[in-house]
Amino acid sequence: MSFDINLILDSLPLMLSGFGITLQLLLVSGFLGLILAVLLLLMRLSNKWYLDWVAQVYIYVFRGTPILVQIFIIYYGLPQFEAIRDSIFWNILREPTGCAILALTLNTGAYVSEILRGGVLGVDKGLLEAGSALGMSTSQKFIYITTPIATRLSLPAYSNDVISLLKSTALASTITIADMTGIARTIVADTYAPYEVFISLAIVYMIFTLLIQKLFGVIEIYLGRYTRREE
Amino acid sequence: MEALTGWWDDYFWGALIVAKVFITSLSLMILFGLLGAGAKLSNNRLAQRIAGAYTVIFRGTPEILVILLLYFGSAIALTAIAQIFNPEVKFVDVPPFWAGTIAIAVIVGSYATETFRGAFLGVNPGSIEAARALGMSTLQTFIYIRIPEMWRIALPPFGNHMLSLIKDTALISIIGLNETLFVAKQAITVTGKPFTMYIVVGIIYLGFSSVVTLVVMGLEKFGNRTTVGAK
Repeated sequence: MSFDINLILDSLPLMLSGFGITLQLLLVSGFLGLILAVLLLLMRLSNKWYLDWVAQVYIYVFRGTPILVQIFIIYYGLPQFEAIRDSIFWNILREPTGCAILALTLNTGAYVSEILRGGVLGVDKGLLEAGSALGMSTSQKFIYITTPIATRLSLPAYSNDVISLLKSTALASTITIADMTGIARTIVADTYAPYEVFISLAIVYMIFTLLIQKLFGVIEIYLGRYTRREE
Repeated sequence: MEALTGWWDDYFWGALIVAKVFITSLSLMILFGLLGAGAKLSNNRLAQRIAGAYTVIFRGTPEILVILLLYFGSAIALTAIAQIFNPEVKFVDVPPFWAGTIAIAVIVGSYATETFRGAFLGVNPGSIEAARALGMSTLQTFIYIRIPEMWRIALPPFGNHMLSLIKDTALISIIGLNETLFVAKQAITVTGKPFTMYIVVGIIYLGFSSVVTLVVMGLEKFGNRTTVGAK
């Protein structure tokens, strides 16, 4: 058992060549997931019981099952139906990347909508009453009062979810995608050197996590610029 | 549905393994969490550093990497150790059950470390002072004051950790544990019905998550039985 530095130097550039795919999975599904989360949130806040109910069942199912199972159902499962293979969605579902993005989007959307709901529920009632007293309409109150405050309140929890989304992108390697983890698994299968390869990749992920935390720290300070007290 | 005939018992044994992994990793996770929290709260600099590194490393690395590293890494390490005693040993197999169970317990334990630490610090100092004033010993204070208060604070996040554990068991199928996802893969090669087989896995996991959620709700109710109306 030895620790081969040369192997790390050889394999690190290879693994980093998959960084683009990891980043693509993170950004695309993060963005689409956020849109889905807002839609689910609006459904839950609407006073229509059926919309609320659909959103609740959706969130329950996607938070209650492992993301790996969701990925497998979409990638391996959906082609079972001829109707899907004949539909226009087949162009996306045929590609493993499309499937991974779809699965990650559907999954993160469920988690993020709950985070946003927590933010909305945390908005001080008094502020909304003040809005009413100023003659604001419901949508004006939502846009000018609820949205900015709820964004600020849910940001810390949201940054945690972005990090867990990053970690979930590694599961794309299970459906043949050559992201950083996928490349690492290929290298390990060839060289049988799990320590060197997996530990150096873990460090790459940790640095990436740290950068995400720093970025959100900056955004948090920016969004909280009116709430800081002058000493 | 007729495709499932003959596979129900395999799914049942797979589900039993999920339950076995869950219970074993839950006890280990509590142990790691308590050790981590104890180290972070101790006055020993070295212990604080180690616990700090522990939480940073395992919260920033994808779960699948930790599982793969522990599985292949421990096989290589054990082989090397075995070869010291008996040079004829070619390869030592590590059971995926233990490699996977320990891996997910270590990962979720790093989250539990923060939960337990927060709960310990969240105990109202006034309650502790009151206990002292009543002449309670440190042990009595710990049992009658600290634990009930910590319990109430830690339970909601702890429930989420349990859900993460249950869902992370699906990842252990990657290293060959014959749990439900693994059963589904076998069933698919025979029946050619991936959607049906993976949906069953999803339903099994949804059942497990629901049970865990209900238990946590019950425990929360029990933990808060004396605080009703106090809020």
